[in-house]
Amino acid sequence: MNIDYTKNPLTVTSAPHLKNPERTSTIMLDVIVALLPATVWGVYVFGWRALAIVLASALSAVLSEALFCYFMNQPITVKDGSAAVTGLILALCLPVSVPLWIPVIGSVFAIIVVKQLFGGLGKNVVNPAIAARVFLFLAWPAQMSYYTVPGASLPVLANVDRVDAFASATPLGALKNGKLFEIGLYDTVLGKVGGCIGEVSAMLLALGGLYLLIRKTIKWHIPVAYIATVALIALIFPQAEPTWRYVAYHVFGGGLMLGAIFMATDYVTSPITKWGRIIYGIGCGVITMVIRCLGQYPEGVSFAIMIMNLLVWYFDMYTRPSKFGGVEKKK
Amino acid sequence: MKLSFKGGIHPPQSKNTANCAVEKMPPPKKVFIPLSQHIGGACVPLVKKGDIVDKGQIIGNVEGGLGCPVHASVSGVVESIEVKTSASGVKIGQIVIENDFEERLSVDVKPIEKSFESLTLDDVIEITKNAGIVGLGGATFPAHAKLASGAGKIDHLIINCAECEPYITVNHRLLLEQPERVLRGLKILLKVFGLTKGYIAIEDNKKDAIKKLKEKTTGTDFVDVCIMKTKYPQGDERQIIYALTGKELTSGHLPFEVGCLILNAETVAAIYDAVVYGMPLIERFVTVDGDCVKEPKNLSVRIGTPINELIEYCGGLTKDPYKIICGGPMMGVAQWKMYAPTVKGTSAVLVFSNQNRTRQSDAPSCIHCGRCVGHCPMRLMPNYLVAFANAGELDKCKEFDILGCVECGCCSYDCPADVPIVQTIRAAKGKILEQMRAQKAALNKSAVAAKPEKEDKGGKES
Repeated sequence: MNIDYTKNPLTVTSAPHLKNPERTSTIMLDVIVALLPATVWGVYVFGWRALAIVLASALSAVLSEALFCYFMNQPITVKDGSAAVTGLILALCLPVSVPLWIPVIGSVFAIIVVKQLFGGLGKNVVNPAIAARVFLFLAWPAQMSYYTVPGASLPVLANVDRVDAFASATPLGALKNGKLFEIGLYDTVLGKVGGCIGEVSAMLLALGGLYLLIRKTIKWHIPVAYIATVALIALIFPQAEPTWRYVAYHVFGGGLMLGAIFMATDYVTSPITKWGRIIYGIGCGVITMVIRCLGQYPEGVSFAIMIMNLLVWYFDMYTRPSKFGGVEKKK
Repeated sequence: MKLSFKGGIHPPQSKNTANCAVEKMPPPKKVFIPLSQHIGGACVPLVKKGDIVDKGQIIGNVEGGLGCPVHASVSGVVESIEVKTSASGVKIGQIVIENDFEERLSVDVKPIEKSFESLTLDDVIEITKNAGIVGLGGATFPAHAKLASGAGKIDHLIINCAECEPYITVNHRLLLEQPERVLRGLKILLKVFGLTKGYIAIEDNKKDAIKKLKEKTTGTDFVDVCIMKTKYPQGDERQIIYALTGKELTSGHLPFEVGCLILNAETVAAIYDAVVYGMPLIERFVTVDGDCVKEPKNLSVRIGTPINELIEYCGGLTKDPYKIICGGPMMGVAQWKMYAPTVKGTSAVLVFSNQNRTRQSDAPSCIHCGRCVGHCPMRLMPNYLVAFANAGELDKCKEFDILGCVECGCCSYDCPADVPIVQTIRAAKGKILEQMRAQKAALNKSAVAAKPEKEDKGGKES
């Protein structure tokens, strides 16, 4: 048996010679699939304008990454899907009434400033979508906190006049004023309330989270620790009666579900160890509730996650698994 | 409940040859016997060009230190002694023997004269050493040294048939076809160690072998068949010890330090052959598989047979080979040519076409998903080890226990970002070990130079 090695040289690599077919783009696709129900619901509740915002955000995220890589003479990395995920998540935490240039600016900021300037995928310190949301919120607070009622007929592309006719209260906005939301819990969980495009349906977000858990894309530690901490703090310090409804609005009413399941679990900016993840989730919960209950803003999920993102290195280092065999034997 | 460990992965098992009975491959025209087929120093040839050698004759032996002899696997004439690249990729001398097909047995191959009752551990150690038996699972640690280290210290004698690497089925077939060799070998070892019970660790994917073993051992109580969960790397001795005894073996320590002795099933069978028939290790079982091989088979092969003859015996290739691996796909060594000889540690020869190409990335970027940390059976943080190694921070690597890595490759297998994790760690480990040797050498030198008047004590300080 003769083989022409010059034509068909054998490949020599270091072991292992097997590889799991799952790759970064598979994971990103999983996240997009998990977000689809909530996205479709957002479009159903808020109309085609919601879709326009999602597309504007996702496309500008992908495009800005492609252009950045092109002009920086780097390999173009949009195929891994992470830019699309960033754009989608950013769109989902915007109110439907924002002008269409807001998601575009947000995506460009997220991808170029927060992600690419730090070295691209895997090197960013904070979650790009969250940083962009915080940036937009601080730069254009009026646009970013004007929520419309579900089903309001808004123009698909043109700017929305911020008139009172369509303005809607949000569950957390009501809690901020010390009273429970007038819309029932059932509609809140389902998502028939005012709020951000993708945040309103707690139920569909939880469904997406379940999908990610089954696919083993995320582990339960961060979402459970985060949501449980928020619920526990609301339970101990209720500011409205009855307590269980107060707790429920805190859990289902704001951005907690989207934040805990999809943003806080972002691999790049969350801890790598089991206990690190649990502590990180608890930290997110505490900061969220401090901002919601004591701070000026009704919502604190994005601030909380961003602050905790900065501490991930410490969680990783201080929750290092003890190596197999424990301590060295004394010589 | 099935025994197991924390971490690990589930690669596709691909045990295509599980139902292929072991075929005795006829001895080849020429055998190539490398002078180092074990961990330890290389052997010095005891024969020269033109010598006539017999089957089973010792043709190379170590001069002190760790190691064991190599034997002629056929009778014939020594054609040459040359330096060649071996299956594990190092340059090593090898003795080429032209087979005369007379199958003349060496006079040294004779059954033991002592009775079973009067056999001692020292006898078995001596026999094992002279028979050139090494760990046949692939690690090739000289078996006599392992037996000697365990003298008087062990309470668990464990036979490893986990066979967690995909594709390989030689241990499975051994237990199914020749369980007596393993069980009788175990009996001998139990007797000389003064133990009453041994353990056979086997993964639950070998149901028929488990059944066979249970049949063979009904009514006796000298063996406990321990069924383990099918998971890679279940066959790592640390993981087996953990699964069986709950004890964790620190890196740099040997099993006897926690009272365990682990031997591969085929090693035990080889010890049995050596003790009872005086037959040295000149033949072993090899799985030949992979999508390029026409008829995947399990073969009983003379040591020193070139791997291309194994492939040819299995009907040759059906496609252009992309990669040829000696050993399992998780830890085996990729070959650059097909002429490497089968050595004592070759448990499989796998030929893959480029359909089995593993993904590689030019610019991998870790996404910090934590899979490598979750899968690492040694509970390390492979992603950080790679980051430190790439930054050249070898001290930081040491601080994060890089030397505790057993190189099982779970991290690289499951990395979605295609970071060459275990490969980077392997390279960094090499650098660190080199550095440590250099430091030690420099220390010895300076200790001698600084105190010339106390030269006689120099040895103590090193």
